[in-house]
Amino acid sequence: MKIAKTLSILGIAAFGAMLAGCKAGGDNQGLEYAPQMYHSVAYEPLTQIVNEDQGQWLSTREDGKGEFFNSNVYNPNHMNMREPVEGTVPRNKSGMLPHRLKQFQLEDAALIENPIPLTDEVLKEGKTLFEQYCVACHGEKGQGDGKVGEIIGGVANLTGGAYINLPEGHIFHVITKGKGRMGAHGSQITPENRWKIVHYVKQVIQKQ
Amino acid sequence: MLSKRSLVGVRLNFHTLAVLFFFLIGTQVFAADPAVVESDEAIAAGKSVFNANCKTCHKLDQKMIGPALRGVTDRQSAEWAKSFIKNSSAVIASGDEYATALFAEFNNTVMPAHGFLSDDDLNNLLSYIEYGDKVDPAAAAATAAGGEGAVAAGGGIPTEYLTVIVVVLVIVLLLILIVLGLIISVLTKYINKQDLDADDKEFVSQKFELGKLLKSDGFVIIVTALVIALVAKTAIDGLYSVGVQQGYAPTQPIAYSHALHAGTLEIQCQYCHTGVEIGRSANIPSPNICMNCHTHVQNVQGKDGISPEIQKIYDAVDNNKPIEWVRVHNLPDLAYFNHSQHVKVGGIECQTCHGPIQEMEVVRQHSALTMGWCIDCHRNTEINSQGNEYYDKLVQLHSDSKDALKVKDIGGLECAKCHY
Repeated sequence: MKIAKTLSILGIAAFGAMLAGCKAGGDNQGLEYAPQMYHSVAYEPLTQIVNEDQGQWLSTREDGKGEFFNSNVYNPNHMNMREPVEGTVPRNKSGMLPHRLKQFQLEDAALIENPIPLTDEVLKEGKTLFEQYCVACHGEKGQGDGKVGEIIGGVANLTGGAYINLPEGHIFHVITKGKGRMGAHGSQITPENRWKIVHYVKQVIQKQ
Repeated sequence: MLSKRSLVGVRLNFHTLAVLFFFLIGTQVFAADPAVVESDEAIAAGKSVFNANCKTCHKLDQKMIGPALRGVTDRQSAEWAKSFIKNSSAVIASGDEYATALFAEFNNTVMPAHGFLSDDDLNNLLSYIEYGDKVDPAAAAATAAGGEGAVAAGGGIPTEYLTVIVVVLVIVLLLILIVLGLIISVLTKYINKQDLDADDKEFVSQKFELGKLLKSDGFVIIVTALVIALVAKTAIDGLYSVGVQQGYAPTQPIAYSHALHAGTLEIQCQYCHTGVEIGRSANIPSPNICMNCHTHVQNVQGKDGISPEIQKIYDAVDNNKPIEWVRVHNLPDLAYFNHSQHVKVGGIECQTCHGPIQEMEVVRQHSALTMGWCIDCHRNTEINSQGNEYYDKLVQLHSDSKDALKVKDIGGLECAKCHY
């Protein structure tokens, strides 16, 4: 009688502890309900399970690999995507061609004209983009006094004499390819958005 | 490192201060080019030129991206300085020995040309460089040392105080307990010496019986009820947390701190998570985005050398190997979520779902990401239809209703919005 009682109490405690362990926190992802739904069969962005045995315990796959394994063994580093073949041109709505000039071809770049017509809306978008991508270093008013800029040092004061008369194509090229201590931002900002930033810099920042 | 340590270690008595003063003064005396005038007007005008064009790369008395400027007309002629400022590349290309050495010393960093500066500007600038904002070296050293002390005293103390207070409290309570015990024993002894009748004697000498208390009905009922309530609560909480990964905060391959980057440095989320306004995923930045800053920033808090965490970015870039970040937020395959629809179209702040990300050292899943959580927001969120033609007809159709136009009214509760 006594043993049965103790066992039942212990059982309840163990059950409680087990359920408490389902909760996620720290490195514990928590218990998944129907794990097959959480682990995509198709390739998914930002998720690559490289380990072929992961999820072996519920696997029904014909190739004998774990249920959760989903990465492309034929790509470098098992990545899901490949970089586009060199020299190919992505099609886009605006019909803009890629900016092919090399970093040092600043003088050629300076001749390019801004294809985005200047409107109030473009300036507004330019402001948002400037705040997202530029303010950290160049500061709210473009004077090279952003919080990150203070750490990196040598950030251009966009309102300074050396920069105030630069052509729009030059600014576009520097955002795309980088110059001096500034890195290339071509991979982060689409060409249209870069031209919008150029408008904002020319029309608002440099006309203060 | 060694020299730094010994500098801080030197006690600031009068002697060291005096020695420091004369030592620094000795190096600070320049025979500036006589062409450079020392007038308040020129210095003030030069300062504004300096702030607009030079300050991000140069300081007067310290090396930065470029050399410390004070004394330039002592080291070279004023004419040389002017031509270097106007077009440094030309001076270097002309084979000037000093310029070439300088260029090499500062890692071949090109200084932009400043041909737009007039001769007056340049004269004023040189006046400011030679005579402007002079710092008394002894005072500077004293404030620097004092500043460090103050900073050291500022951090960490509250928690230490707290521990001390708790320890003192515990000691005091223990002392009170001992004193009370002593008083009881003394009183008992004293009473036992008196003449007492039987009832009183029994009362005084009664013992506290633990066993009896444990077996009493009241106690058993209270304890049983408590245990059942506790187990039931754990069980229900546990069952509800199945499939909900709220609080998941995995260790990442690089100890990247959002608190530092997004919090202290105020870098916008979109700078790194570039996909958030144009695609389904917000994107984890590729190392080339890290390198925009970390080419130059190699350690935290101005420490020397390369931080081991930042070194991991360099390794990834050098070996062309991806950094395998651990995914934190994961929706089951049966539900579709799109970042751009919420951030770009809906104009929702990142923090609405991701919580105070700018305060997190390690990212954790802030929201439950359950269907109830999604639906709740769709029921309560109003639509900003201002200046957006897309909503015109919907607004018209909705105009009979008393409530504002919400996400639920334009299909935010339809199954096939997210499940298809």
